[in-house]
Amino acid sequence: MALTLIRSASRAKVSPMSRADRQFGLRLSAPALALLAMLLVVPAVLTLVYSFHDVPPTGIAPGEFIGLTNYETVFGSPVFWSSLWVTIVFSLGFVVVSTCLGLGFALLLNEAFPGRGILRGLLVIPWACPWLVIGIIWRWFVDGSVGGLNGLLMHLGLTDGYIDFLSNPRSALIIAVIGASWRQACFAAILLLAGLQTLPKELNEAAAIDGAGPLGRFRHVTIPWLRPVLATVIVLNIIYAFLQFDVIFAMTQGGPGDATQVLSILIYRQLFVATDIGTGSALAVILALLSLVGGLITVRLLYRNEA
Amino acid sequence: MVGESAPFGRRTFLRGVGSAGILAAISPALAACGGSSSSTWDGKLNFMGWDHQPEVIKRLVSSWSTANNVPVDVSISPNVGYAAAIQTRLRGGDPIDVFYNHSYNSERFIKQDWATPLNDLPGVDDMVANLYPSARPRYVQADGKIISVPYYSAVHLMHYNKRMVEDAGFSGPPKNLDETYAQAQKLKAGGLETPYVAYWIKEFCEEYFNVYLLSEGVIPFDDQGDPVFADDPKTVRVLEWWQSMYRDGLAASSVLTDDPGKLSTELAQGRAAFFVLHHYFLTAVRELNGPESPNLFHAPVSATGETLQIGDVLQMGTITNEDRKARAWDLMKYYGWKDVDGKFTVLTEWAKSSGLVGPYSDFFDDPAVIAAFPDYYDLKFLSATFGTGSNVMPVRNQSWYSAFQMKVGDHVHNLLLGNATPTETVKALTDAAKAAKKGGGL
Repeated sequence: MALTLIRSASRAKVSPMSRADRQFGLRLSAPALALLAMLLVVPAVLTLVYSFHDVPPTGIAPGEFIGLTNYETVFGSPVFWSSLWVTIVFSLGFVVVSTCLGLGFALLLNEAFPGRGILRGLLVIPWACPWLVIGIIWRWFVDGSVGGLNGLLMHLGLTDGYIDFLSNPRSALIIAVIGASWRQACFAAILLLAGLQTLPKELNEAAAIDGAGPLGRFRHVTIPWLRPVLATVIVLNIIYAFLQFDVIFAMTQGGPGDATQVLSILIYRQLFVATDIGTGSALAVILALLSLVGGLITVRLLYRNEA
Repeated sequence: MVGESAPFGRRTFLRGVGSAGILAAISPALAACGGSSSSTWDGKLNFMGWDHQPEVIKRLVSSWSTANNVPVDVSISPNVGYAAAIQTRLRGGDPIDVFYNHSYNSERFIKQDWATPLNDLPGVDDMVANLYPSARPRYVQADGKIISVPYYSAVHLMHYNKRMVEDAGFSGPPKNLDETYAQAQKLKAGGLETPYVAYWIKEFCEEYFNVYLLSEGVIPFDDQGDPVFADDPKTVRVLEWWQSMYRDGLAASSVLTDDPGKLSTELAQGRAAFFVLHHYFLTAVRELNGPESPNLFHAPVSATGETLQIGDVLQMGTITNEDRKARAWDLMKYYGWKDVDGKFTVLTEWAKSSGLVGPYSDFFDDPAVIAAFPDYYDLKFLSATFGTGSNVMPVRNQSWYSAFQMKVGDHVHNLLLGNATPTETVKALTDAAKAAKKGGGL
């Protein structure tokens, strides 16, 4: 019964707009679309063009057309493959942790308890912090000499002494995932909480009458209801994961060694340190394609059952 | 009302968006045409720097602006990401008349026509003659092209805790790698957990590498800019020493990501006794007012007395208007050399607030400069180090060099973490330098 209600709710369609209304809407949004084209489409196209050229460092003109040479350089470099692997591991961790943590926060804050309003307000704080600030906060929090995390772990008796999380390649990557996910989870929680608040109580009541327990209601009522929001959250998380730069750079600069050198850091180094615009652009195109493919696969997987 | 409006089809819309896109694509070029290269000038200069004491920067520039009746628009960017910020602005055609630059980018900016050579400007030869000969190659290329003026300079020196060293039974600071190891080991045995701190974060490893090579008497690159450090066995020795300092716990494992602020605190609080870095960190450590701050002093990195001289620069943007260029040059002279009265006004201010140095041969003779440095600075030693004991390594200015610079941290971290031997690291660094010089690649 609950599932039937969800499906009928999702099938309800808004009446089609008249042609005149659509034209009017288009006119109203035209300035914003033109601005978007300037800020997003033009740089994206230029990056694609640059990736096939031997671009002079000024970047004013694309330079000589060299076909796929920049891509051959990228794919022939072990630095790229190592960085790609780090990016994939980081992204998987980031998407899973930030989505699950965000869902957990949202479920918790959807319940009635004293102080809920304050906690909901607090949720905005990490989200309102710039990524760079988050990176600096986490670098100090996990510091091997004076970090709060080490103090906490020692007080709880979980460690004997201070641990340098950022000097170990494996723990540095884990900390980078947690630090970045902490902010993104708050953003995910805000979206998911908004989704949860539109969930009609009757659905859960009907599911309870049908004999569903808390887990059953979560699986068969809450998750299906949240699916559109979850899809948005996951796709955004994937994009943020692939584009993540500031938090990692502030914490480790991609180190120790190349342990946390995700593709965005490699692009930065290539574009702004080595000033190799052609190769840097090729890397940027590859990263964009990766995040696009990741997002599309996710959407497809999430909506597979509705086909 | 809506129905009566003129038809607005998808084609019309797409045409509009397309035009906007084309306009956006050509706007940087248009901006460049109408910006700094324009022969007309509205009488205002643009100045860009990073955020080291922004209020002081604004005050200093404002003082010049008032005295010369030339309005200056000062734009301050965060130090982190400054290189990207200024390159983006210049690439977009934003006219900046005078700007801070990292010296390793200065030659490249000239090549890219983002900065103007300063030859033939009034007084520039006097300024060059006034520089320490050791400093000159940073600002004057081998072919005589003057590419920048100093923003500040510094030399790498050993900062050591005199009380701790003497209490441990040593008569003075260590004079070589073995002595540093021995002193650090004894201090550790006496309870100081990590006596040695080093700035081994990725982006600084290249600078550190050169400091230690120079201080051991190794010439890292020849006059053609080819890496020759592998030819000297002392290079492997330096890396063996680095590895043992890290592996044996004489340096904290966190030094791979620690920033200098934290390392200065370690010294001030008495949690470390040795730190090789820019001389002006002594000001930072002393001003932290920690229990051990008064016991910190300078010493040479090693008995050879040789070290690396570093510094960042001021450059002039591409300016075609002669009046504008003349005014920009006046501002540069004031900011990077002397004011119209022949005083190091700006450089004295930086010496007072941060211990920075103007690399001029008469800088340390100026009474105002002497008064600006706190008593704990040994100005004779500092002056001698600038005069004859330091090297700017001109190769570090070359446009390909930053591609090598960004690789050094990866290899040094691998060495410190025990994933590569010193010999393998030397080979990897040589290969990286050769590849960077050749161009291309990741």
